[in-house]
Amino acid sequence: MWKVTIKGLLAHKLRLVLTAIAIVLGVTFISGTFVLTDTLHNTFTTLFGHIYQNIDFEVRGKAAFTNNAPGGGGGAVRKPIDESILSALRQVPGVFYAQGTVSGYAQFIAPDGKAITTGGAPTLGLSFDPNPQLSSLHLAQGKAPTTPSDVVMDEGTARKYHFDVGEHVRILLQGPTQTFTITGLVRFGTADNLAGATLAAFDLPTAQRLFGESGRFDAIDILAAPGADKAGVEHAIARTLPPGVEVVTGQTVANEQADTINQALSFFSTALLVFAFISLFVGGFTIFNTFSIIVGQRTRELALLRIVGASRRQVFRSVLVEAAILGLVASLIGLGLGVLAALGLEALLKGFGITLPSGPLVFEARTVFAAIVVGLGVTVISAISPARRAVRIPPVAALVDYRGEQGESSRRRIVIGTIIAVLGIAALALGLTKPAIQLVGLGALAVFIGIGMLAPTVARPMASALGRPLARVFRISGKLGRENSMRSPRRTAQTASALMVGLALVSTITVFGASLSKSATSSVDNAVSADYIVSNTDNNANGFSNSVAVAASRVPGVAATSTIYSGEFEFRHSLSTMTALSPEHLADTVILRMQAGTGAPALSARELLIDTTTANSDHLSVGSVAPVKFAETGTSTIRIGGIFKPNALLGSFLVGDGFFLSHFNAPLPVAVLLSTANGTTDITKAVTDGLKAYPNLKIQTRAQFEKSQQAQVNQLLGLVYALLALAVVIALIGIVNTLMLSVFERTHEIGLLRAVGMKRRQVRAMIRSEAVILSLFGAIIGVVVGTALGTAFAASLKQQGITDIVIPFPSLVLFLVIAALLGLGAATWPARRAARLDVLAAIAAD
Amino acid sequence: MTITEEATPPSPPSPGPTAAHAIDLVKTYGKDDAAVHALAGVNVEFRRGQFTAVMGPSGSGKSTLMHCMAGLDTPTSGHAYVGDQDIGLLDDAGLTQLRRDRIGFVFQSFNLVPTLTARENITLPSDLAGKKVDQAWFDFLVGQLGIGDRLSHRPQEMSGGQQQRAACARALIGRPDLIFADEPTGNLDSNSSAEMLGFLRRSVTEFNQSIVMVTHDPRGAAFADRVVFLADGKVVGELASPTADAVLEHMKQLGT
Repeated sequence: MWKVTIKGLLAHKLRLVLTAIAIVLGVTFISGTFVLTDTLHNTFTTLFGHIYQNIDFEVRGKAAFTNNAPGGGGGAVRKPIDESILSALRQVPGVFYAQGTVSGYAQFIAPDGKAITTGGAPTLGLSFDPNPQLSSLHLAQGKAPTTPSDVVMDEGTARKYHFDVGEHVRILLQGPTQTFTITGLVRFGTADNLAGATLAAFDLPTAQRLFGESGRFDAIDILAAPGADKAGVEHAIARTLPPGVEVVTGQTVANEQADTINQALSFFSTALLVFAFISLFVGGFTIFNTFSIIVGQRTRELALLRIVGASRRQVFRSVLVEAAILGLVASLIGLGLGVLAALGLEALLKGFGITLPSGPLVFEARTVFAAIVVGLGVTVISAISPARRAVRIPPVAALVDYRGEQGESSRRRIVIGTIIAVLGIAALALGLTKPAIQLVGLGALAVFIGIGMLAPTVARPMASALGRPLARVFRISGKLGRENSMRSPRRTAQTASALMVGLALVSTITVFGASLSKSATSSVDNAVSADYIVSNTDNNANGFSNSVAVAASRVPGVAATSTIYSGEFEFRHSLSTMTALSPEHLADTVILRMQAGTGAPALSARELLIDTTTANSDHLSVGSVAPVKFAETGTSTIRIGGIFKPNALLGSFLVGDGFFLSHFNAPLPVAVLLSTANGTTDITKAVTDGLKAYPNLKIQTRAQFEKSQQAQVNQLLGLVYALLALAVVIALIGIVNTLMLSVFERTHEIGLLRAVGMKRRQVRAMIRSEAVILSLFGAIIGVVVGTALGTAFAASLKQQGITDIVIPFPSLVLFLVIAALLGLGAATWPARRAARLDVLAAIAAD
Repeated sequence: MTITEEATPPSPPSPGPTAAHAIDLVKTYGKDDAAVHALAGVNVEFRRGQFTAVMGPSGSGKSTLMHCMAGLDTPTSGHAYVGDQDIGLLDDAGLTQLRRDRIGFVFQSFNLVPTLTARENITLPSDLAGKKVDQAWFDFLVGQLGIGDRLSHRPQEMSGGQQQRAACARALIGRPDLIFADEPTGNLDSNSSAEMLGFLRRSVTEFNQSIVMVTHDPRGAAFADRVVFLADGKVVGELASPTADAVLEHMKQLGT
């Protein structure tokens, strides 16, 4: 039986290749994702390992919050420690060397006057530790910084922007921009650059002053004496430390840092894997369809095998083994391509502004395992139903004309399809209200499968309706194409189902994205009344200089400025983000719709304002007192002074800037809002000029700000579309495959049509008509389902700020047009093949 | 012809006179008014070591009888036996095994799996059963049928006659209790037909094989030991040691 299977596979190489492509692409995506994220994981782990390899211990403030940010240890908020600890530590026996470190915000300005951005990586300012054994920075050129005007720069930045030792460089800091002399260039561990971050290192006292931490350190790095008992030294250090300060090993710090990055990476890889699975899911439909057709075409052969003694089990196994071999080969090819794809994916992300560090490609055993299990699994599972159909072929089918069991199973299919679809909708609804993302995914999956099963019911009438105009335009060719698509509603529906899923996802994202985009605009309208919004050009940056607000307020025409801060704190024992602004200009710069209590007066009274969502979920009202905790100042309580309606810009927790500054150490503003005096005309130029010293700033009018919010949404959507495009491509390959198979199947019939006078052009038109009907059928169902899904998603996120639901009809209609054109494209090859058939041979063929 | 020394002589027939028989076999298609009786109560017996031809006009139920007796189709009522086995009592697995181990088939067309070579097609039943092929018997059959140089060819690379001979070899390779041949020469020219029928004849005479052949060709029927005539789903006559003329005569009588 093995022989039959393998020979069968080899006899249909083209069919094999087309079917395999769906799996190859999906597996490529999976293995590419794994290779890419493993590579990044390895790069970061190695990097942090190098940085901390020489440090024996680090003394630092304890993590401020118990239930910390998802970043874990590496990203924890810590209170700086007092300088005096250092001298005590130097007395501890076994401590060979100890030095304090501070870090903060320092952004270089390029010679052309623009701030040097990193595309997400930090712009780090550090204190330079001259001890080469301890420092993670190694001088590659020049000498260490020793005076308040000295700085050393990372080699990567220097090379990229052509800086040399001895030159001057302007640096953006918390305070005003300052000019420094480059005394040296450093490497970070073994790399000339820390994962794309820029580094500016100063001597310790300068760094302390620049980062607003005079008299304090972020941490103290320690070297143990050679041969000292490290556990003993650690113990001795711990005993000298005041409460709230801890000692950990260098290895611990390295692991924490790597964990933080890897946590972020795992979100990233999960997102990519979701798309990979979507592709494979669509691929599964294609495989199912192909195998169904193959089984149909091989009915006589399979029946003959049954006659000469193949058992049902042998037939079943032969179909599955065929699928397994196909899946295995495709998975292996996909695995190979995945490595290449990892490089491509990196480039794609770079195109969307996400820069990643480079490192040697990492190829884990897990990647191979996952790729093969998933690729093989999807293929075999998709082939189970066709295999079962093969088993039901009676032996006598080899001798008599046999026409499947269309009618008998269609009723059952409708019932099962309905049940699956209803269950899917229920899971979706439950998942959206909960919210539970896995349930949503599972529900969507079930809805697609259910609708895929129900689609044959409407295939005939829909194909008939869609084909009518084609029959009018292309006459007999269009009419025959229409008849062909109506002939087997089940096959029509199966072929179209892959495209249905692809377009449903695209439409979901479109509806969701349009709603998100519109909501972003209207939420800005409802949140901000300022005329100008000043923020960092780099959306991922931590903030900008404190002196910006002062500079802006001096610009003629600016009536009011409001500085916005943002910081983490614990609200009722859970980590939250608070926003702060000055109460004086509240009414001029933001729109705060109070539901209860007061706005500005409460902020001035150092009270907390919360939004209605939080008030409802936490059962809080004006006058409630809630426990809060700050990294800097510890635990206290705060009175709720007011409750405001959700505001997209301000978040859920709002305090006055006075209160904020007293609880956070040297915070950086995230935005400055400006409002102009009544009757003032456009002062964009004046504001821009007034803030020329801060090239890292972006000055936007409210309209521009709205647009940039929308642009952010659109950029994300662009990425999602690009990833979904793969699923659509797989669906189209499915259509090519089906048309190809159906051309082979109808060799005799096409030959007959040609013999009685059909022109080649007409044959092509016939096949193309069929393809257009197929694509439109799938696209229409997909768009309808997707619109419903997208609306449901958007509606479920009303509380989270999606206030407007938009159904972008022009885009959806465009999708239908594109689908029809793609269908036309998919038909090119099969149509040519059909037109080229040798008439005589086709008629003679049995 | 004589059996050569190296060929394994077939085992003598086991006792019991019949290879297969049918009792009151009825096969009805459709229901009520639209009902068509393909078989309307057939009683027939096929003896061991005998070559039986089944004849009758189109629609007489010849093929249906063969399908029901070979377990390819289920009769509406009545019983079909292969040896002592009532095949109505067998489930699908049992029927599969019966076909594989005890029955051989030769059809008018589509006898061979198109993707397999002639050799692979011939050994297919043994391969399916996971049994070893009796190599001497294989060589003997292939030699007798004259397809030794065609073994590595696929069906589409062989003539119709060669394909039928390969099918014949496949039917005989497992030494089945009974071979059903359904118009085996229907698609062949007269030369190939004669060779084919001659070989079937010899396999009965020399190896004691039992064969039931459905045909509508009186010359083909003349190769048989006995002809059973069917009309309208019933057995309407029988002829022993037929000649072509006798068969034709009998057919004419039935026709009128």
